Amino acid sequence: MAGTGKAHLRDSPDVLLRVEDLVMEFPVGRTGLVVHAVSGISFDVLRGETLGVVGESGCGKSTTGKALMMLPRPTSGSVMFEGTELTALPPDQMRAARTRMQMIFQDPISSLNPRRKVRDIVREPLAIWKRGGKEEQLAKVDALLEEVGIDPQRAAESQAHQFSGGQCQRISIARSLVLDPTLIICDEPVSALDVSVQAQVLNLLEDLKAKFGLTLVFIAHDLAVVKNISDRIQVMYLGKICEVASSDDLYASPAHHYTKVLLDSIPVPDPEIAVHQVAIEGEPPSPVLPPPGCRFNPRCPAADDRCRSEEPQLREIATSHFVACHHPLVGGDAPVAVRA
Amino acid sequence: MTDIDVVTDEHAPEVPVLADAPVKKVKVKRRGRITKWLAIGWLAFITISAIGANSLPYIPHSCEPGDSMCSTAVKGSLLLGQLPPKWAFFSEAPKPVNGAPERMGLMGTDKNGFDIFSRSMLGARNSLIIAGLAITFGLAIGTFLGMIAGYFRGKVDTVIENISNVMLAFPALLLAIFLVTFFNDPNTTGAANSRPLWPIILALVVLSIPPLTRLVRANTIAYAQRDFVVAARSLGAKGSRILFREILPNIVPTLLSFALTGLAILIVAEGGLAFLGLSVEAPVPTWGAMIAAGSEPLRNGAWWISLMPAFVMFLTVLSINLLGDVLAQRFNSREAIG
Amino acid sequence: MSPQTQAASRQVDGPLLQVTDLRTAFRTDRGLVKAVDGVSFSLTRGRSLGVVGESGSGKTVLSRSIMGLLPKRNTERSGSVLFEGQEIIDLSLSERRKIWGREMSMIFQDPMTSLNPVMRVGKQLGEGLKIHLGMSNDDARATALKLLQDVRIPEPEKRLDQYAFELSGGMRQRVMIALAMSCGPTLLFADEPTTALDVTVQAQILEVINEQRRDRNMSVILVTHDLGVVAGHTDEIAVMYGGKLVEKAPTRVLFANMKMPYTEALLNSIPKIEDPSHTRLNVIPGRPPDLVNPPKGCRFAPRCSFAQSRCIEEEPPLMTAEHPEHMYACWYPVGSPVHRERSAQLAEQKVGAR
Repeated sequence: MAGTGKAHLRDSPDVLLRVEDLVMEFPVGRTGLVVHAVSGISFDVLRGETLGVVGESGCGKSTTGKALMMLPRPTSGSVMFEGTELTALPPDQMRAARTRMQMIFQDPISSLNPRRKVRDIVREPLAIWKRGGKEEQLAKVDALLEEVGIDPQRAAESQAHQFSGGQCQRISIARSLVLDPTLIICDEPVSALDVSVQAQVLNLLEDLKAKFGLTLVFIAHDLAVVKNISDRIQVMYLGKICEVASSDDLYASPAHHYTKVLLDSIPVPDPEIAVHQVAIEGEPPSPVLPPPGCRFNPRCPAADDRCRSEEPQLREIATSHFVACHHPLVGGDAPVAVRA
Repeated sequence: MTDIDVVTDEHAPEVPVLADAPVKKVKVKRRGRITKWLAIGWLAFITISAIGANSLPYIPHSCEPGDSMCSTAVKGSLLLGQLPPKWAFFSEAPKPVNGAPERMGLMGTDKNGFDIFSRSMLGARNSLIIAGLAITFGLAIGTFLGMIAGYFRGKVDTVIENISNVMLAFPALLLAIFLVTFFNDPNTTGAANSRPLWPIILALVVLSIPPLTRLVRANTIAYAQRDFVVAARSLGAKGSRILFREILPNIVPTLLSFALTGLAILIVAEGGLAFLGLSVEAPVPTWGAMIAAGSEPLRNGAWWISLMPAFVMFLTVLSINLLGDVLAQRFNSREAIG
Repeated sequence: MSPQTQAASRQVDGPLLQVTDLRTAFRTDRGLVKAVDGVSFSLTRGRSLGVVGESGSGKTVLSRSIMGLLPKRNTERSGSVLFEGQEIIDLSLSERRKIWGREMSMIFQDPMTSLNPVMRVGKQLGEGLKIHLGMSNDDARATALKLLQDVRIPEPEKRLDQYAFELSGGMRQRVMIALAMSCGPTLLFADEPTTALDVTVQAQILEVINEQRRDRNMSVILVTHDLGVVAGHTDEIAVMYGGKLVEKAPTRVLFANMKMPYTEALLNSIPKIEDPSHTRLNVIPGRPPDLVNPPKGCRFAPRCSFAQSRCIEEEPPLMTAEHPEHMYACWYPVGSPVHRERSAQLAEQKVGAR
């Protein structure tokens, strides 16, 4: 897996975000080693679409999300957003461009300043950009707080720790919407929440997306959650893209062995089915020394010599269904017999 | 499973909590409540006494020649004398000079016949002003440098980090001695009241900057990685706004509790420098100078002249440290809830 | 400790753990937070119990309270905890220390913070063996290696000399399990052991815990917010809400025949992978109750779609369902006439709304 390639990029006037050959590398202390967090990925998002990015820790999904906002700037590659090349923007213009795209983080409490009143936190973006007078700003903040289900009165009096995790995530969402962005990058927004609250936040995101005409990039490790909210899903492993497909196609006919593993790993809340499924042994290797060839080959049941030497490219195996695998589960040239 | 929808509501309104229902108040046990109040009480007492120190009866009284309670070292040669605490307190004997009150304080008198308690309070004023100003300036400069180093990193960080390393490696005492001697005008040394306060304050400020810079830098680095700072950046906030609005309010609590510890350390440090004769000159009292002045009579058994101011200093430093602990605990628990 | 309980010899055939009316409350400035409010259950040796609930349901406090891990200051604890027939609720700290590790031990959500960062894995494992079991250095190291092999950590010899930060999240949790196993406990508490791990590793870790349970005839209490996690890995499930036990049953019985609307709502709020994308998720409105001032009747009533006036007025006791081991606390359980009528109404409303 772990392929490069741009076969899946779309040529549409509706493309809001187009990322090409994105590379993010970080030095490991002063050892001279480098973490290959993201190794040349390309993808695009259409206006009004929700792109789900799924993978395990270390697959580079969160780094990708931050790279879109130039936090920090990518090592190399291109990020085109609303027709502007972000990687080349000078800092001041970048600050302005960031207001068009916003981010929601995993830890709802850590993403709110613990020493400030919640209403001020939500108003902060308007204060930074001096949009309207104070009355006008507060009116907008209160309307948004109502929209996400937070009492503005309480928000004016309380700090973040006086709210529950789910409420903090709602507050984060309100803050991200206050500058009227077009793109929201959600970085594991529900993985720190209880299931009951998770459902509330996911429904809220869907509603707000419809109401404000948002485009979402939804990053998470839970495929069931990603599938629920996304139109298109991109599966990542060790800094590479394995598979890109519409949510329903990906679930109905996973082509990549890693996608299959992810699907099989979802805990099923049914004791009749869920008897000790261990879908895969081991853990992803370190992104400091990624394996050659397909990066999934050391854990892949179908890996052969070709997978260990030659990196697979993304190719279309069905309409709008792309996979980077030499021996895909569906649509492959030579079907390989694999384990149960 | 049945396929009924449990709830199909949209925004999940908050369930009203019956806030008006009576809640039985319980007593929450806390560690060190009494010590906290003792510490606050002592500090309040010291502060008020220091402010009003001028009206305290520290004026010398006479010592009758031949009085057995007067120190042998002084007896006969001077009319002024050192008296031990008990005698000073109960004696009706001391003759007022210049209209000083008849009964002297709990702590005895020094070799000049000054009441040690009153002098200690006057010393408190000088010691607290010196240490307080020093920690304030140290804090301001240290916070500024630390935040810049911790937030911007890179070259600024390297420079600040190296300078503070050099300063930390330099023996603190030597540095202080050097600074004080350098800035004190040799021509005026020795003349009463002629030595300014600022060289000693400067020395203490210089001593306090590197550790404060390090503390602030470490805290800034920790907070700069928090999501809310990343969020502020993604909202287009500039560096200065992030530093002062997002990061500073979060490190202030840590700084406050550390500043109290620093204040205590500086009080002791001033004492040390004064003991070496490097602080303000007698007869302007600081605790250190008073302790130093008592070192000689100590050999003659006049223990109170050194120990009484030392005791006052000890209680003050202890109280400040206790208060610092209380502050640190309070802020920690608040953070833990959040 | 009362003379009777002291006199009682250790039962071997009774349940391993018998908790009766356990209450744990914390004194705070807001008032008494009743985190565990009268919980009773028993656990047979070798079985695994899943304790499920939202945050704030008291599930974590329950496990710590049973183990006696909570600080005494500002904590009020009452009730009875019989471990192998012996009352352990009023043991002194030194007596509890003898139990920790040897009789019961615990693994936590974040293995990084529960492992000593400056001690090599082998040494950390050996420490307990030397102190509790009086082993020599060589024996301790050999046993540590055996423990690492038991939890099926890759390259166990190499791991002995590594530090926790050099290991991956899954390996750390395996080390944590090995550490918890080192002195051969009969009861293991696992507090959200897989929440911090990747999905592909979660199943592996749960399987290791299960293997250890079978091999050692040990009991496991698995505390989690995820019904999906407990479904495949426990014999029994206890659902907690607002500090109370609201439903308890053998796992298969529970999933086949849920009684509490809360349990059902919890299950329904999990997104199902087989549903088409953008399927509207079922939510439980509102938040868990305030434990300082819980609702008078059923604690779930304010959030329950099926609540009647009786639910708000009167607290339901634990009742027994058709299956003798199935307990629930609800006046109008799933399947009852009132519940059926109301669900029909809700379904109609839903259709009408569309």
